[in-house]
Amino acid sequence: MKKLKLFLIGILLSSSFAMFAQQTAKGIVKEKTSGDPLPGVSIIVKGTQKGAETDFNGNFNLPNVKAGDILLFRYLGYANKEVTITSNFNLVVELEESSQQLDEIVVVGYGTTTVKDATGSVEAITAKEFTKGNIVTPENLLSGRVAGVNITTSGAPGSGSQIRIRGGSSLNASNDPLVVIDGLPLSGVDLNSINPNDIESFSVLKDASATSIYGSRGANGVIIITTKKGRTEYTLDYDVQVGFGEIKNRVSVFNGDEFRNLVNTRRPSDAGLLGTANTNWQDEIFQKSVATQHNLTARGQIFGFLPTRLSVNFSEIEGNLLTSQFDRSNISVSMNPSFFDDHLKVSLNYNRAFVDNRSADSGQVNSALRYDPTQPVYDPTSPFGGFYQHINRTPGGILVENGTRNPVAALLQNNNNSNRFRQFGNLKLDYKLHFLPEVTATVSAGFDKSKEEGSFFSPLNSPANYTDLFVGGEGSFINEFENENFNAYFTYVNTFDKLKTDVMVGYDYQSFNSSGNSTGNIRNPNDQGATSYVNTPVVLVGFLARANLTFNEKYLLTLNYRRDGTSRFGPQNRWGNFGGAAFAWRMSDENFLKDNEVISELKLRASYGVNGQQDGIAGDLYLDRYRFGNQNSQYIFGGNPIHSTIPSERSSLKWENTATIELGIDYGLFDNRISGSINAFQKNSTDLLSDAPVADASNFTNRVLQNIGDLQVNGLEFTLNADVVKTQELDWNINFNATYIDREIKELALGQDITTGGIAGGTGNFIQLYSEGFAPNSFFVYKQLYDTAGKPIEGAYADLNGDGIINTDDRYLKENPQADLALGFQSNFNYKNFDLTFNLRAQIGNYVYNNVNSSLGQYDLLQDNAVLGNIPTSVLDTDFQRTSDVILSDIYLENASFLRMDNITLGYTFDRPIKKFASNSIRLWAGMQNVFILTNYSGLDPEVFNGIDNTIYPRPRTFLVGANIKF
Amino acid sequence: MMKNILKIEKIAILFLAMVVALSSCTKDLDITPKDDQDLLGEDFFANETAYKELLAGVYGNLSLTGVDGPGSSNIDGLDAGTSQFGRVLLYLQTLSADQMIWSYENDPGTRAIQRNIWNADDPIILGMFGRTHVTIAFANNFLRETTDVKLDERNVSSATRAEIVKFRAEARLLRAMSYYYMMDLFGQANFTTENDAINAQPQAYDRQQLFDFVESELIAIEADLADPMAVEHGRASKGVAWMILAKIYLNAEVYIEQEKYTECLDYCKKIIAGGYTLATDYQHNFMADNDVNSASNEIIFPLISDGTFTQNYGPTTVMINGAVGSIESNGAALGVGAGGWGGALRLRKEFVQLFDGGIYNTDTRNTIISSERDIEILDISDQDQGYILEKYSNAKSTGGFGVDQTFVDTDFPLFRLADIYLMYAEAHLRGGTGANPADLLTYVNSLRTRANNPQNNLTIADIDLDFIIDERARELHWEAHRRQDLIRFGRFTGGNYNWVWKGNGTSGISIPSNLKLYPIPSASLASNPNLVQNAGY
Repeated sequence: MKKLKLFLIGILLSSSFAMFAQQTAKGIVKEKTSGDPLPGVSIIVKGTQKGAETDFNGNFNLPNVKAGDILLFRYLGYANKEVTITSNFNLVVELEESSQQLDEIVVVGYGTTTVKDATGSVEAITAKEFTKGNIVTPENLLSGRVAGVNITTSGAPGSGSQIRIRGGSSLNASNDPLVVIDGLPLSGVDLNSINPNDIESFSVLKDASATSIYGSRGANGVIIITTKKGRTEYTLDYDVQVGFGEIKNRVSVFNGDEFRNLVNTRRPSDAGLLGTANTNWQDEIFQKSVATQHNLTARGQIFGFLPTRLSVNFSEIEGNLLTSQFDRSNISVSMNPSFFDDHLKVSLNYNRAFVDNRSADSGQVNSALRYDPTQPVYDPTSPFGGFYQHINRTPGGILVENGTRNPVAALLQNNNNSNRFRQFGNLKLDYKLHFLPEVTATVSAGFDKSKEEGSFFSPLNSPANYTDLFVGGEGSFINEFENENFNAYFTYVNTFDKLKTDVMVGYDYQSFNSSGNSTGNIRNPNDQGATSYVNTPVVLVGFLARANLTFNEKYLLTLNYRRDGTSRFGPQNRWGNFGGAAFAWRMSDENFLKDNEVISELKLRASYGVNGQQDGIAGDLYLDRYRFGNQNSQYIFGGNPIHSTIPSERSSLKWENTATIELGIDYGLFDNRISGSINAFQKNSTDLLSDAPVADASNFTNRVLQNIGDLQVNGLEFTLNADVVKTQELDWNINFNATYIDREIKELALGQDITTGGIAGGTGNFIQLYSEGFAPNSFFVYKQLYDTAGKPIEGAYADLNGDGIINTDDRYLKENPQADLALGFQSNFNYKNFDLTFNLRAQIGNYVYNNVNSSLGQYDLLQDNAVLGNIPTSVLDTDFQRTSDVILSDIYLENASFLRMDNITLGYTFDRPIKKFASNSIRLWAGMQNVFILTNYSGLDPEVFNGIDNTIYPRPRTFLVGANIKF
Repeated sequence: MMKNILKIEKIAILFLAMVVALSSCTKDLDITPKDDQDLLGEDFFANETAYKELLAGVYGNLSLTGVDGPGSSNIDGLDAGTSQFGRVLLYLQTLSADQMIWSYENDPGTRAIQRNIWNADDPIILGMFGRTHVTIAFANNFLRETTDVKLDERNVSSATRAEIVKFRAEARLLRAMSYYYMMDLFGQANFTTENDAINAQPQAYDRQQLFDFVESELIAIEADLADPMAVEHGRASKGVAWMILAKIYLNAEVYIEQEKYTECLDYCKKIIAGGYTLATDYQHNFMADNDVNSASNEIIFPLISDGTFTQNYGPTTVMINGAVGSIESNGAALGVGAGGWGGALRLRKEFVQLFDGGIYNTDTRNTIISSERDIEILDISDQDQGYILEKYSNAKSTGGFGVDQTFVDTDFPLFRLADIYLMYAEAHLRGGTGANPADLLTYVNSLRTRANNPQNNLTIADIDLDFIIDERARELHWEAHRRQDLIRFGRFTGGNYNWVWKGNGTSGISIPSNLKLYPIPSASLASNPNLVQNAGY
């Protein structure tokens, strides 16, 4: 310690000899519009390494500066400002919120950079750019906002989303992006228990150079979420919103009278089965919903040194399918103190979420389409809780179930509840070494734990768990999950003349454990009874390094390297080396463009990187494992059940690799009033982890994961940001993005097609295929033949191979569910205190297989076992009779291109309505979610997961009103 | 300069310290499974009960599709439940012929099988090839793990080792049986033994090679197998090995173009001498308690099914639930849900007509229900057309029913004595030497006597090959024999015998002779280029 002091004194002395007439600059940094002090603003004396940071009250002290020095002020989301020291060493500096984003700090993996210095495809989305409207889960803040990012959310309240960045790069392994919250990588996309209001910004890492710092986990892109932090000034925000939702669309089926006519014509012998009611079953199962969300956020410094943010969220979201309900409460705390003259910065986040979800079976939408519209919902004589049911008791006392069950009863009599308690948090220490201030040591430890306890119940008089006895249903289950992360890294930042260096080396460790159990139906003696599972743990270890080199502020080079080990692979294949390089040229800073009136910013980028993939597969295929049968899967020798045990499949897997090459341009025109970027990329995934046939009898199955197959993704992305009008009173900003994606399977294991896309209608039917030369999940259909009048001929398909037999050899591949082109448009308009926002989203070239029509739209299905069943009116167009004749016809494959207005919101802000307080505001707003959709698709909604429209939970249209109150 | 060196040293020390501290964490990458159903090999074999459990796993693959209930499967490419061994066997041997119709043709593969328009992508054909080869892989694994070297290493007790001798013979039997079915259905198989490494590319065996292997292997293990009926129910005795030998000899002309009828007779005689007797009631063979009622003396090898412990969507569960009539809702009497599966299975006309004539009115093998129904099936998807059958049942011979209303307790009689009686007669008629005509008459007539058929005093003159093929249908229908029988009689392909929907014609048309063999599934062919696709596919 003594030596250290001497050393430090030495440095101080030596540096002071070298300079003269030096003073200390002091001052305060404020936010320009509000006048609030800004804490944590970084101040650097330009051309040196000297710097300081503002404290919690915006004050700073910067010793040893002299007149003529230029001070550079930088702060996240604000424009950089340079101030030249004249005679005044006491400064008041105002920073303005950045519109041009160039100096915005962008969070990248294990560190930060700025938009200006970024070399890769990294998009930072901060609060003011978030998608507005009925946002229940955080990922919807990004919907339609980022080129190359596609988010599909179902209509169920609080449901999770499928996120795809650049279409995903795997077939059988995971296509989910990595989500990192404040340095803690999550397992999968598990965001619906997180309060969107806690989120400060997103960074979306798309190119391989940027994502390769996440090595094995970055192949599908990375979304880094930064949550809001504590501050010193005291503020209190309260946000409330109320939404009124309704599902307007209906699948067109026959109404009671039409149905009676149809049966009388087509099945006169069954006319006796008709009832007299006129029930619209879809109206009966859908309900209008009310959803409320409250957010209360307090910020301020506690105990005099602890900047803290505390936020509480209560959401009560009613679903539009009877009985469905999603309630969530969150508490999150963030503390951000600094010690030792800001040498040690501590950042602590902790979040507790309670989600109470009653899920309604969306399969009942199909039952509602199917249920006889001439039967009533209720029947006072029914033994089934007063609900009409197609169930008879024979003279022998036996119950006979004759057809589909009453969907209203199924919803009301089944209570499927789950209570999930999730807590996650992260503690991060940044220590700028006292003896070596160029080096910062960062240690971060985090965890994410969740326990879901669920129960199901159906009363004794429910046919839900139908047997000859009314046993009802009752049981419970538990699912537990735990994810622990530790990472540590050193950052070294220095400038050598014209060369700026920023080097990082680090280490990352993460483990995942999950387990659960279920009681089964404890009322049913024949049920399989209690079961439990423990998933094989997964451990990931990574060593990482990065160097950012900037020469002359114009030439930027980033090198990334990561060595990853995974417990999913055996010792011989366990470690993989990943990395990337990116080069950027800030052309606009060259002399020949410096004074150009039109081009204010031009950066050319090129990058290449390799990512790995191991997620989404079983973690123990290399081990010599045996598995014995559960209580229903045993063998019996001599009347005695015996634990029959089989060897589990074996495979020696290695890393799946994705190499991405990318060229990009970042542009800014007219003083960056117009800005954006263009990217062209090609991703080549090789050694795909494919579930492929293995020679029969050579393994303990006929298909096993192997590293065979190549997938190529080509894409173009375009973004445009424009400040159309920017005056004191009127401000209009628009954002447009377009993504073209083409995915093609280059090679499959053994050249073998792989079936995907299971559909309703038949046992084990499928409609999609992985096939070489085609996009993944291309539809595999028969070519329908039509008569001269253009009417389809039932069961008549083109004999494509001309062998005179129509069999599976005549199926062909047609289109795929992924849009060729995805477009997003957002408009933010402010006039005085009014704000108006809307956004539009479009997909072009996405195809959907209408499984509702294909599995239900045939006259034979007027017979529903022993009773009558309704069918979609689409049957009138086809006159099809039999499902099995037509279910695989391309007539059910439809172009589902659409244009959707997700949201429109109008707000008005009252400044300082309460004069007693120095600063306060109230914003009142109203909006509509899911405003309209333009499409030729005949089903309920063209936006379906994976292109098979079966029983989706329809998306409601919601009216919203809300208020944001700030003190 | 000095300063810089100091810095570099410090950075280097920091870095080194970090690397040393953190490298030790990499051993966490060695994980073990945590689920209580999963075991590492070393832990599993630490307990000597493992060997019997592992043998049960080989047997289990004939009944179970996976380890996690009837909806789980350890093979891919088709519906889990449909991949059950007995189920795909029934589809390929019975549904493809003249006895059975499956109503739900949107269940992949069923349409092509029952209309004889299959190709190499048919999931049911894939299921048969895949499921059977998994039995081979399980048997090989059993043999690999029970070598003397391994048993020495694990210090296995002499008592257990004595049992393992039998176990090994049974594993080899099940492997040979698998190759027998591959020879019959595909004429080819991937040939691997316990000496081949996992994931090694197998060689392909043709029919002759398979015939030679099955024959020599069954003869080689005979001594180690238990005597007939001297083994726990569910395990195989010498009787099963003899049965398979009798079958391959009876069909040797088809398989290897050689007559082996005398050898067939030899093994029929061994079985008959082994102590098996006919069940007192024909129906006992197909009831929920056929593991303990009088059928336990007749059934030589069952595929186990149990409503609690051995749940599967195998042939008995499918035939009992599936045969419940759409009109009759007669499931309750059969011990399943009253509506069953809504009329999934019905009968083709040609089979029904085998029971025409008064003598079959009282024949207990005639369980056809015809009331309210038309014999013709013009529309396969109309479950009300065609007659239905009530052969299999989840009821017990002593009253009462199996424990579950979907998953039946009824075992599938893969091999039973009645078959041997008719094989004995047929081998004699086809020129085999060594049959005793008096015995032959006794065997054939005893089946009729048991079935309460008044015409139970047939003479040698009455018994010709035409009689045999029809009597086999009357006795053994829906027991997964029919395709093999029709091929042996030259009536499966070609046009000399047509049945409704044969060749996709409403009243049946000729089909090409290459359909006597099923195609090698495309996936299996691709994953082992040593296989050669069968002619015509």
